[in-house]
Amino acid sequence: MLYKTITKENFRRMIEGLMEDNDVFGPKWRDRDKNGDKVYRFLKLNDFDELQMDYTRTYSSPKNFFIPFKETLSTYDLAETEWDQQIRYTVHPRVIVGMRACDINALRKLDEVMVKSAFPNPYYFARRRNTVIIGLDHEPLEDCFCRSVNADVVFKGFDLFLTDIGAKYFVAIGSDTGYRIVDRFGGEEVSEADQDAFKSMKKRIESKFKTQVDVTIVPELMDLEFESEVWERWGDKCMSCGSCAMVCPTCYCYGVEEDVDLSFTHAAKQRFLYSCNLIDFAMVAGDHNFRPEPHIRLKYRYYHQFRGFVEAFNQSLCVGCNRCGVACLAGISPKAVIDDLNETEQR
Amino acid sequence: MKYLGIELPKPKVAVFGFTGCEGCQLQLANNEQNLKDLFELVEVVDFRLISSDKLGGYDIAFVEGSITTDSDVEALKAIRAQAKLLVATGACACLGGVNNLRERFPLPDAVAEVYGEHKIESGQVRRVADVVPADIELPGCPISKLEFEWLVRQLVMGVEPQFPRYPVCVECKQRINTCVMDMGILCLGPITRAGCNAVCPRNRAGCWGCRGPSEEANYESLVEILREHGFSEAHIAERVSFFNAFSGNQVLPVLE
Amino acid sequence: MTLKIPRYDINREPFMTQTPDFNRKSQLLQTERTYKARINAAIQLTPEEKLFQIQILDPKERAQFSCLPGQFVMVELPGCGEIAISISGSCSNHEFIEICIRKVGKVTGMIHRLEAGAMVGIRGPFGTHFPMREMNGSNVLLIAGGLGIVPLRSSIYWVNEHRPDYKDVTILYGARTPKLLLFDYQYEEWRKVFNLTMHTIVEEPDENWTGPVGLITQLFDQVPIDPDDTFAIVCGPPVMFKFVCDHLSALGLPMQRMFVSLERRMHCGMGKCCRCNVGSTFTCLDGPVFDYWSVMNLQEAI
Repeated sequence: MLYKTITKENFRRMIEGLMEDNDVFGPKWRDRDKNGDKVYRFLKLNDFDELQMDYTRTYSSPKNFFIPFKETLSTYDLAETEWDQQIRYTVHPRVIVGMRACDINALRKLDEVMVKSAFPNPYYFARRRNTVIIGLDHEPLEDCFCRSVNADVVFKGFDLFLTDIGAKYFVAIGSDTGYRIVDRFGGEEVSEADQDAFKSMKKRIESKFKTQVDVTIVPELMDLEFESEVWERWGDKCMSCGSCAMVCPTCYCYGVEEDVDLSFTHAAKQRFLYSCNLIDFAMVAGDHNFRPEPHIRLKYRYYHQFRGFVEAFNQSLCVGCNRCGVACLAGISPKAVIDDLNETEQR
Repeated sequence: MKYLGIELPKPKVAVFGFTGCEGCQLQLANNEQNLKDLFELVEVVDFRLISSDKLGGYDIAFVEGSITTDSDVEALKAIRAQAKLLVATGACACLGGVNNLRERFPLPDAVAEVYGEHKIESGQVRRVADVVPADIELPGCPISKLEFEWLVRQLVMGVEPQFPRYPVCVECKQRINTCVMDMGILCLGPITRAGCNAVCPRNRAGCWGCRGPSEEANYESLVEILREHGFSEAHIAERVSFFNAFSGNQVLPVLE
Repeated sequence: MTLKIPRYDINREPFMTQTPDFNRKSQLLQTERTYKARINAAIQLTPEEKLFQIQILDPKERAQFSCLPGQFVMVELPGCGEIAISISGSCSNHEFIEICIRKVGKVTGMIHRLEAGAMVGIRGPFGTHFPMREMNGSNVLLIAGGLGIVPLRSSIYWVNEHRPDYKDVTILYGARTPKLLLFDYQYEEWRKVFNLTMHTIVEEPDENWTGPVGLITQLFDQVPIDPDDTFAIVCGPPVMFKFVCDHLSALGLPMQRMFVSLERRMHCGMGKCCRCNVGSTFTCLDGPVFDYWSVMNLQEAI
């Protein structure tokens, strides 16, 4: 991999230059919570100063740039007994600045499912190929546990990845487009001092992890403790509201619905993000529900994240961002549930 | 009307309003650009807001408002006897709705407060389903015109409409809203049926439950959360009783 | 200084103008493109079940469509919805596809209203198949309960088309009532022309029923089973196939020689929507046909 550095002034020119001809998205301050803390969201930048390079985390993940919450798969013009089907893929190029390592690793996991598995998904592929990702390192927050699930560092899946080393950013270059961007906007060779600064920043980041989740035998526990009361304990709190899956950078379960317009001349097939926690996720026609209780649905969310995906791709689906834990009003977080599961095993 | 070779019947439709603000009836007449298509699908035989015709012989009756007087009860029973399908339309018809607030006061006091010396006929606030069976409940305060149009399509296709079973949070998160509870605003989103596109939380108002409970709503968990967030029993009780959406459960706090 | 990010227009890739071949799973396909198919015949089997004989309109698409017993297709009525339906006819028939649909929900209800001449959309085939070739040289037990005869029927056709490859082939079929025994007009042909042994049983007989009464496992008394040289295909509701497979297990039939077809909710058929997901297993990709050993290892399958 190639590395360069870019001064913060040149970084500003870079973002402003990219904004000239492209849609550029980045973390913006959107709300304040009741403690006065800022709540961030990835939004379109109209001005460089809107970009919050010191943001903590976005409430929702940037997943929706690649898997929108709602997406038209195909449209139809209906005739008397016939129809004409149209399929178009969205290919509007854009740039996302400020994605964390965990979020980029999340995309790499989604790549496994959406691009590298059977039936590559052209909708996802088109968006992925047309999105330039400029990642950004950060000091872990209180509850970040990406390190426990090996998602704290990233070497692929981005165009550029920045680490703040004071007056400059240390830049890892992950693609030809990334190289051209850095080159155009004043990228410099890495000096020995830059390298030292990078090293100490990385050390600093590493030393700041506070939350650890022991996932060593979680895949096995998912089977061994399948009937454990841990699930009912957390399931009783679960409101089956799907917030966890919506904010999650990797949850990709979806539903498909079709509808016709009021004149019965146009129809559309739409895909919308679903959650395995919702009551009718596994309900079939005739109202039989394979997963009738909240704790069973909750358990399967964990089963997919920490067992099923591991079996299929040798890694958990969870990237340790704890957005689900933050969004869950009932306080259900991977840390809490997995700690509980581990303790059950010890008893 | 033919849909991919399937003959779709053109049902006769009537709209009736009882105690309510007529906002839902207004919604039915809204979205003017679609009215032409709507009238191709259904024949409107009785709808005071758009025509003075009272033709009768309807198949589907949309009933708006809550039921408060004896004459309303009789009128509703007559509608039920005629209609093959009765759709309780809007929060007042489905839940009692805002009108139900009056039940907090002795009836004579409430009447006197509003009408003074003037005599009016009024009684207990009832849902449509308290008086006659409702085949379908189209929720919301007011109802959504888009959802109504969707419902008409389902009915014309002869399909049993499936309203979202899950709570408002799903749609709220899909709009990438910051959770209003995190901002200190009481919200009933986790126990309220989705389908409104989270319009109130979107505008930082919190959810008031106008669409009624989501399926198998977890009241225990939400009440505990609301208490932890520091909302008083009175505040919670006030909110959950506002549309009378959650009456009958034993978990949520009730007004003193 | 500016820089315009180059646009990658996937809509100009060759696959956009090609007929998607769902058997080439690793290639980029228009995954949502359906083949238009005309209903040649719609036959009411029972008040709830209807058999549709459909033909893919485009000759090129029709020639390309190739399936195996046990696989399924996604059947779409544009604007109404799409459902997963097992292929019920002969897979060597390249002219038309037979599917049998039970009226249970919105989409199936609407499709039931379609008459001959109407059209549906088809994507597929999807999923795993019964390993018919692996069974060459052995006895085959084909066991169905209720609607389970629908996916099983394509393997009955297969056996007939490759009859010399198999030793004794026996169909055991149970339904709740005699009227619910599907395809009864074909039993004579299966016995006499296909040279299969067939036993039927019902739980609730009517006045005309002269056959055995009870659960399907009772039929095992009438069938000699050589556990060392027999394969079984078992289709039916989970309680039924569990009972049957456990029974066969007890007779010494290895679990890896018993095949069942699972039914789950599916929205995509391509391992993406997760509606049929159990852990790492996708019923649409890894199934619907599983050997019984794999099913035993699936949490929640039964």
